[in-house]
Amino acid sequence: MTGKADRVEDQLVAFLPNLRRFAISLCGSRDIADDLVQMACERALANEQHFERGTRFDAWMFRILHNLWIDDIRKRKTAGHQEDIDERHDIAGVSGEREMEARLTLTSVSQAIADLADEQREVLLLVCVEEFSYRETADILAIPIGTVMSRLARARRNLSLTTGISAAPARSDGIKRPE
Amino acid sequence: MTDFSDEILMRFADGELDAEMTAKVGQALESDDALVARLAVFIETRVQAHATLTPLLDEPVPFTLAASVQRMIEAKRAGERPEASSVIPFGSRTANRSWRQHWVLPIAASLAVAVGGLAGYLAADRTGREGGLLVAGINSPALRQALASVVSGAQVNLAGSEERFRVIGTFRNDAQDLCREFEVDSPDSSTVISVACHLNGDWQVNFAVVAPGDSSGYAPASSTEALDAYLAAIDAGAPMPAEEELRALDALR
Repeated sequence: MTGKADRVEDQLVAFLPNLRRFAISLCGSRDIADDLVQMACERALANEQHFERGTRFDAWMFRILHNLWIDDIRKRKTAGHQEDIDERHDIAGVSGEREMEARLTLTSVSQAIADLADEQREVLLLVCVEEFSYRETADILAIPIGTVMSRLARARRNLSLTTGISAAPARSDGIKRPE
Repeated sequence: MTDFSDEILMRFADGELDAEMTAKVGQALESDDALVARLAVFIETRVQAHATLTPLLDEPVPFTLAASVQRMIEAKRAGERPEASSVIPFGSRTANRSWRQHWVLPIAASLAVAVGGLAGYLAADRTGREGGLLVAGINSPALRQALASVVSGAQVNLAGSEERFRVIGTFRNDAQDLCREFEVDSPDSSTVISVACHLNGDWQVNFAVVAPGDSSGYAPASSTEALDAYLAAIDAGAPMPAEEELRALDALR
């Protein structure tokens, strides 16, 4: 079946917000993210014949974008480009003045995510945010599934250490303990 | 009591264990608070990461990005290869018509003009080129009618002509004027990519790129670089969703 809805160009526009979120989370800069998204769309359209119908379009797009990002990092390293640390910390500064209060409570988590090593952040994004399986994540990033798991576990340990995420559930459970 | 590794607990939290192992962990959790606390780290980090990054999905895709992708898609659909194109910036106000016959400049050279000095220039020689430049004739009731009524993504034939008109997107500029990016295909198969904004009760064409097309219409991607620069310069907002666009167009009536 190659229904019209299966075609890359028919799915691309609706998928832009997700693609952009992935890109922003990867690189921490909206400008670079938008360039990445544009390049990814260009590449996807040019390589549509490589997209297997019936497979996950989102996984295919994330793989393309991730590859472009890896190329980009390599180029920057070669060019001696310094990453703008301040920009990276802006990952979840999404709503501007809007929802200031909500942001205050979440800032530490977004900060902690931004501070993760790149390879930990990307597995966290794909599994916990985009809800891919370990296998799908391994395919997108072209790494073994065992590596996905070890990076993911490390990412989550780091996240919980820097944000104190696990404290509440553990304590409340302890109170109920009949001892 | 079975001692489960962090990896097992993480896989439990992520739904990555088989049924048998899931049952084992589930059973152990009933009586092991320390295990619950260790598991909580994986569940909570997942929940928090998801919650923290979800708002990014609500962030509007920048107009320049959305429009650029839309054009790539259209170009692909039309099976068109990029060709050389010329940029013709002009303002809509009356000016010294004899000052210049017309502008046909390479994109790179004319960018600064296209972006910086629109109001001061006029594409005077409108009769010399058929088709595409007619779009400059904002006096055209058919064009005005189309700008006020055709929704993004739709295409119509302009009344009384053989020109095809379609809207790429609707947005607001830095002055909050309602603006529309649209394309007009002429019978001679050139395509004009244009931006018109609604100001003081009328539409004003502020920017146009003339791209020689083929019979399939649609402007080649190379002719849109100047447009992207222009949209960035006027701080074009995100393209409006369909409902908002309808409301905005209604409000003009």
